[in-house]
Amino acid sequence: MRRIPIVQGEHRVVAEPGVIISTLLGSCVAVCLQDPQARIGGMNHFLLAEPGEEVPPAGQQRYGIHAMELLINAMMQAGASRGRLRAHLYGGANIIAGLGRIGSSNAAFARQFMAAEGIEIGRCELEGTHARKVEFMPYEGRVRSTLVDRAPPLRALHAPGEAGGDVELF
Amino acid sequence: MPAASAIRVMVVDDQTSMRAMIRRTLQDLGFKDVRDKAGAAEALAAIKSDRVHLVISDYNMPDMDGLQFLEAVRADPVIGKTVFIMLTGSADREVVQKAAALGVNNYVVKPFAPAALKEKIERVFGELN
Repeated sequence: MRRIPIVQGEHRVVAEPGVIISTLLGSCVAVCLQDPQARIGGMNHFLLAEPGEEVPPAGQQRYGIHAMELLINAMMQAGASRGRLRAHLYGGANIIAGLGRIGSSNAAFARQFMAAEGIEIGRCELEGTHARKVEFMPYEGRVRSTLVDRAPPLRALHAPGEAGGDVELF
Repeated sequence: MPAASAIRVMVVDDQTSMRAMIRRTLQDLGFKDVRDKAGAAEALAAIKSDRVHLVISDYNMPDMDGLQFLEAVRADPVIGKTVFIMLTGSADREVVQKAAALGVNNYVVKPFAPAALKEKIERVFGELN
């Protein structure tokens, strides 16, 4: 059994048996996507805004939509069919009192994104007040979430590019 | 100084959420006539029958990708000069160079801030009002 841990801002796609993608979530959300017919699956781990950070809703949407696009594109490049994708949603906990409901915002985004894109939601363990450990076996289509005491530290978000890229041709 | 409200735009992206976000961004910038399609083939047919001034298209799409779409637009005698801005998922030099060779007018790397999209449009059309 091979284990691939991912952290905030990452995603991985796997199409082979015996592999577990795992992550530790606090207020972040992880989306596990699977194409059960092609036996391809992937997980991401994203945060729309940091506690105390003033990011307008439109800006938060940009982070989330981009994170989901990266995962969906990687799934399709691996051979998955968009119409067969099924999602399991985890995380979005509101762990630290007094720092707003960042977790709920992340969870709401994940639900709304799946509805907008017509992706069926399978298991959904969002919000609450506990951190979670998520283990996903993409090929087998198995996923497990356990509550844990300690949330992972949040990493700084990268602001969306103001100038858009580093290839100067124009 | 062109009026954004006079520029007809076609947005092409296979993700509903991304199309909606780009549409909102353009509307905030003053664009009034914004159409969108989920696929390049249907967008190509649509702009052939009802021309637009500006195409904003994702690169990474199934069936026909952004480069193939750009090539088809440039090869068309009627819509061949339509302004074409490509959205790329990363600063992929090879994709951008291919797009430049095919005649793309500019490109934007996702995720982008509204100001970045405005700047890229203005580099082609001039300052918008």
